[in-house]
Amino acid sequence: MIKSKVCLLAVLLLVLFLAPVVPVKADAMTVDYISGQLICQCGCTSVLNNCTHAECHSRESMTNLIRQKVDQGESAAAIIQYFVAQYGEQVLSSPPKKGFNLTAWLLPFAAIMAGGAVIYFALKKWVKRGTHQPEGVVPVNETDKEYERRVENELSGFTHGGFR
Amino acid sequence: MADIGRISLLLALFAAVYSAAGFFIGAKRGHPGLVRSARNGVLAVCGLATIATASLVYAIVTHDFQLEYVASYTSRDLSLVYLLSTLWAGNAGSLLFWAWLLSIFSAVMVFQRRDTGRELVPYAGSVTMITAAFFFILLLFVASPFQRLSFVPPDGRGLNPLLENPGMFFHPPFLLAGYVGFTIPFGFAVAAMITRRLGDDWIIAVRRWALMAWLLLGIGNLFGAWWAYVELGWGGYWAWDPVENASLMPWLVITAFLHSIMMQRRRGMLKIWNMVLIILAFSLSILGTFLTRSGVIASVHTFAETPLLGTLFLVFIGISLLGSLGLLFYRSDNLKSDAEMESVVSRESTFLLNNLLLVGAAFAVLLGTFFPIISEAVRGVKVSVGPPFFNQVNAPIFLAIILLAGICTLIGWRKASVRNLWHNFFWPLVTVLAIEVFLFIIGIRQWYALIAFAICAFVLATIIYEWFRGTRARHQMKGDNYFRAFWGLIGSNRPRYGGYIVHLAVILMAAGVIGSSLYDASVEATLQPGESVRLQRYILTYDNIDQYETESKQVVSTSLSVYNSGHLLGQLTPEKYFHHNYDQAVSEVAIRSTLLEDLYVILVGWEDTGATSFKVIINPLVSWIWLGGIVFVLGGLLAFWPERRRPASPNDESGRST
Repeated sequence: MIKSKVCLLAVLLLVLFLAPVVPVKADAMTVDYISGQLICQCGCTSVLNNCTHAECHSRESMTNLIRQKVDQGESAAAIIQYFVAQYGEQVLSSPPKKGFNLTAWLLPFAAIMAGGAVIYFALKKWVKRGTHQPEGVVPVNETDKEYERRVENELSGFTHGGFR
Repeated sequence: MADIGRISLLLALFAAVYSAAGFFIGAKRGHPGLVRSARNGVLAVCGLATIATASLVYAIVTHDFQLEYVASYTSRDLSLVYLLSTLWAGNAGSLLFWAWLLSIFSAVMVFQRRDTGRELVPYAGSVTMITAAFFFILLLFVASPFQRLSFVPPDGRGLNPLLENPGMFFHPPFLLAGYVGFTIPFGFAVAAMITRRLGDDWIIAVRRWALMAWLLLGIGNLFGAWWAYVELGWGGYWAWDPVENASLMPWLVITAFLHSIMMQRRRGMLKIWNMVLIILAFSLSILGTFLTRSGVIASVHTFAETPLLGTLFLVFIGISLLGSLGLLFYRSDNLKSDAEMESVVSRESTFLLNNLLLVGAAFAVLLGTFFPIISEAVRGVKVSVGPPFFNQVNAPIFLAIILLAGICTLIGWRKASVRNLWHNFFWPLVTVLAIEVFLFIIGIRQWYALIAFAICAFVLATIIYEWFRGTRARHQMKGDNYFRAFWGLIGSNRPRYGGYIVHLAVILMAAGVIGSSLYDASVEATLQPGESVRLQRYILTYDNIDQYETESKQVVSTSLSVYNSGHLLGQLTPEKYFHHNYDQAVSEVAIRSTLLEDLYVILVGWEDTGATSFKVIINPLVSWIWLGGIVFVLGGLLAFWPERRRPASPNDESGRST
């Protein structure tokens, strides 16, 4: 039984590994992509291609300029850099991944990893402490019959034990 | 009516201060009479706040334009429904609405019949009344909705036309009710620390309050997303605006709390952590109010900038945060638990990781929201932090959270072995791989989409498998038919199965977000009547443009015929409104929505030559987000629904001191 299950999983995995996947779409030279990297300068604080103010003149002029530069064959990086030189770093829709800005990009992950380390050591400590199996412990190799009993126990115990 | 409102607020302030002091002194010195009097004081606060709110509503519906608030946000041509919505459309009105809701919640809390945590109520009442008093002070001295003008204008300025939408009628009250709801669990947490009753009583007392606040805030956010999608006309539903972020952060933290209290109930663990989460959720809920009113961060949602109001909110957040954290530190010895576990591989571990990731996600959103200020303070350089940042940072964290929801469902409490894991996860994994193969066959090729959909499929499969096993177990144990066994299973533990339904809702919403983020397509075209634009399999033919006047606005309306593979599907009419009393034009987008995708058309502009510009967007699976919202509400309500009361037993935990 286990052999056939392993075979089934292996076949499905093989099919997927052979499949030619592609990276996330990112046509760096499209006007839309570059607009998505910039903030509209009409004061709306929206990303350029999201600004919907009818009176916004920034969106049209900025988008036309991007289109013109794309047509002239300028690279996306050069076009974005042009706008940074014009309006400053705040024209970018996200802080560039360098220098002090890296704190914004990396700190959440660093904090999660640090928290993960704390949890890991706490778990080790608690597991070391938990040498005995208290009443109601779930069996290690739970069978369907045991599962049925556990579900029934937990459900009937719910009324007396409050929420879980 | 304005005088009645103002006097009511003044009396409510006195009653709130009296109740706060009465509760504290009465409970501390053991004067039940004083506590009872303070309890009646809460009722008085609720009554007076209701009178003040009713006064403002009366002034609004009777067009009392001498009131600055009424003149600023209403007009004679506004329908009754939107007249009522102006109560929370402006700064002062929304503060009054907040105070009114808090007074109602406080009254319910102090008069609620409860089996556990009765001794905590006076202190919790004291905390909520101090909070209410703070809002009454703001309403009386900083942002009064009853401020009079020196003249009576013939008509008001009117409501921002963007707010004249059903989504905006429901979004603010649900959001504010969610924010206000966090005050009650915070009050109980502080009460537990003051009284040293740090066992399970306080979490039993607050669970449903926290769940209610979480549900209301979640519904508020969903209404906000729907409103942004149908009304703002940029084709999206979540822009990671600072004010949107402010409502997401406490929701994430309370989601963590709703999971971690299960650990405290079952294993006596995470007592300090649960306190921290409630303190954070309350502080973040006030932070949201601060952000909308201080003008400290540029946002499309801000009310008029009021520096004094912002400063006062900051002071209030500071005091409540430092005070409660100080109290927590002072009581930390009493909160230490002798946690022990049998194995690292267990449901407990997944709950810990889930908490870490949820709070990590909230931290990422907080950091991104405030990074413009931090950057300016440190480097002297202004930066913008927009959707690309939040999407890149949060997407992997959210996917990990969703994955854990699946693992957690089938992993046992205390200990799981390899055989146990293999037994539980085999069929869900097979389902995932089969779905992946199917997705690949239908043309999904992006690796990020394949991974994200695999995670969603895995969680879906684990939930269905868990339900199947539970139903089969009941069927075999009790002999019920499968349908009856399934309903019996759901009904026998509503919090658990309501939680699973919420997980199901998250999967639906995640699929919608993945589809609409990774597979959207758009085109901008300038057309003359009779010309067409193609986007994927849709062809849109521009028919005509029309202009007409209504009582309140000028409307520019266009019509396009939509064809799919040669078949006429119907007409779409994107429009532009020019309201007489509002400077900005408003886009009325046209949306053709199906379960598979939305065809979203925006009228961008037009010229005298007849050339008209449109933006056409295909947003796949957006309907799944709204469908997920409905499932979220159903699951939340199921989890919230009260259990049948049972007679108190001698072994009851109520009143037990820890």
